[in-house]
Amino acid sequence: MTFVVTENCIACKYTDCVSACPVDCFYEGENMLVIDPDGCIDCGVCEPECPASAILADTHEDAEPWISFNSKYAKLWPVITTIREPLPTADAQDGIPGKLHTVFSEQPATQEA
Amino acid sequence: MSALSIASNIKINEQLLSNPESQIVTNVVHWTDTLFSFRLSRDNNFRFRSGEFVMIGLPDETGKPLLRAYSIASPNWDEELEFYSIKVPDGPLTSRLQKIVPGDRVIVKSKSVGTLVTDALLPGENLWMIATGTGVAPFASLIRDPDVYERFNKIILVHTCRKNAQLVYGSRIVDNARTDPLVGDMVQDKLIYYPTTTAEPSLKQGRPTTLIESGEIFLDLNLSPWNAAIDRVMICGSLAMNKDVVALCEQQGLSEGSNNTPGEFVVEKAFVD
Repeated sequence: MTFVVTENCIACKYTDCVSACPVDCFYEGENMLVIDPDGCIDCGVCEPECPASAILADTHEDAEPWISFNSKYAKLWPVITTIREPLPTADAQDGIPGKLHTVFSEQPATQEA
Repeated sequence: MSALSIASNIKINEQLLSNPESQIVTNVVHWTDTLFSFRLSRDNNFRFRSGEFVMIGLPDETGKPLLRAYSIASPNWDEELEFYSIKVPDGPLTSRLQKIVPGDRVIVKSKSVGTLVTDALLPGENLWMIATGTGVAPFASLIRDPDVYERFNKIILVHTCRKNAQLVYGSRIVDNARTDPLVGDMVQDKLIYYPTTTAEPSLKQGRPTTLIESGEIFLDLNLSPWNAAIDRVMICGSLAMNKDVVALCEQQGLSEGSNNTPGEFVVEKAFVD
């Protein structure tokens, strides 16, 4: 079992989870984070830290479609190891349904830091 | 120790000499045939909050680090780091970790995290610590942290093991804390230690969930059942115990806290017994 990032991270990207991860296994896209399932040790510390409640155990009924998604983008995006400012759209986008099809970006984060 | 395991230790230590994240073993105590504790040197820059865990480990056969999450059992003011571990005969890490001796090296990553921290709890009167087995480790750290005594009036450490011998590490920590120059007076005034066994006669027998549900623990300690206004709970033990005590907390109207949103109880999810 691991934890996965799900739809509500999209266009929010609060990044509180990053400072909670003991194994630095969050990867950063332009407007979303994912967890590398091979690095996750299933410690669960990140789950309650997400202000958008976007992190779920992969055994959760809503997590299933996100397992392969996290696995895929963890290989394509750069690792993120320190907390950053949320996206400017974060509070407005928190809880909006269907963000995967409306605003999700496949692009990796730009490496400014 | 066999010639083979000495050779294996030498190989590991050679690999770790050049690893800046390795620390030196200063002491090892084998408490039972399945439990041991060990102390490591501490990097000057390593900071942690009492109750947190860190990734530690040894290189595997190919030289790649094999790491597991371990709660830090020593208080944050200690010059060294202490850990308390089970020995799993076929465990990839503990089968080898149990063979370490003073002078050996162990990898300690630089990032400590966790939810069993006072920052994740709202202010309250009573802090209940519910542990089974080696789940007592983060509480061994917390009960020696002056900050805990400044935040709470009573600290109740409930530790349940199958047998009396498995309680000895925790009871030694409590005894030593009572005479500690830094926290001894606070411990004497505020710490209540409540050890129980489930598979052997002792002064108090029973699972923590049973003792809480029946109300026996509250009668024994002359305290009221959990109340979200004054009681805070930290839980660390077997998955089954964690789940049952979480349910008891929620029945009493306590809500789970995190570093972002402090609450009335917290539970260690990284712990596996």
